[in-house]
Amino acid sequence: MNKAMQLGMIIAVILAVLTVVEYIFAVNVDDTAIRFYGLSGAAIAKAALIVWYFMHFGRVFRPEEAH
Amino acid sequence: MAVAAPAMHHKGPDRTAINRLGLWLFFFSESLIFALLLSSRFFLEGLNIPLKHGSDEQAVDQVLGLAITVILLLSSVTAFTGETAFEHGRKRLGHWMILATIVLGLIFAGGVAYEWKTAHFTRGEAFGTVFFTMTGVHASHVMSGVIMLGLVWVQALRGKYNEKNHWPVSGVVMYWHFVDVVWVFFYPALYLV
Repeated sequence: MNKAMQLGMIIAVILAVLTVVEYIFAVNVDDTAIRFYGLSGAAIAKAALIVWYFMHFGRVFRPEEAH
Repeated sequence: MAVAAPAMHHKGPDRTAINRLGLWLFFFSESLIFALLLSSRFFLEGLNIPLKHGSDEQAVDQVLGLAITVILLLSSVTAFTGETAFEHGRKRLGHWMILATIVLGLIFAGGVAYEWKTAHFTRGEAFGTVFFTMTGVHASHVMSGVIMLGLVWVQALRGKYNEKNHWPVSGVVMYWHFVDVVWVFFYPALYLV
C-alpha cells in the first residue's frame, strides 16, 4: 500500500512540475513552432505517465493473478 | 455404454481482464472523437489564440486555465489514492478520496462554466466554436465521471467493495484518468499554444 502510494505521489509531483514548466515555457517562448513542439512533448510525456502509472495500461497484457 | 467424461481442468475466462480490455477499447474510440476535436482547433485557428477585442491581451484567462488544470491533476491523485486504498482494504481512506475526487471534479466543471460566462469571444467566431465545443464535450465527460464516482461512492459506503472485489472502483477511476489525459492535450491547445 505505502509503496503504491509513494509511487503515485512521485508521479503526481512529476506531473505538477511538467505542468508548471509547460506554463512558464508557453509564456516566455515567442517562437510559435518551438512553443508548439515543446508543449506537444510535455503533453505526450504527461499523458504517458498517467496512462502507464495511473491507468495501469500494463495490466491489460497481464493475467489477473499477476497484479 | 456409459463413458466417463474426462476431467476438465479448463479455467474460465478472467472476467476482470475482459472488463479491462473492453474499457480500453472504449477509451480508444473516445480518443478518436477528442483527436478530431483537437485537429479541428488547429485547422480553424492554426497556432493562434485570439486577443481580446481592442486589447493586446489573450482572450482566454491564463490563470483560470492553469488553476482548473491543477485541480483536475489533483483529482487524478485523489482518485489513484482512493483506488489503491480499496485494493488494499483501506475502505475509509478510499471513501474519502473518492469523495475528494467528486468535489474536485465539480470545482473543475465550475471553473469551465465561469470561463464560458466570462469569455471574450462568441460561439460565432472560429476560436469560440472550437473552444466551446472542446470544453463542452470534455466537461460533459467530467460530469459523467462525477455521476459514476457518486454511484461508486454510495455503493462503497454500503460495503459492496473489498480487496477482492473492487473492479467498479478501478473502472470508474480509470475513466477519470482518461478524462484527465484528454485535458492534458486540450489545455495547451486552448490556452498556451
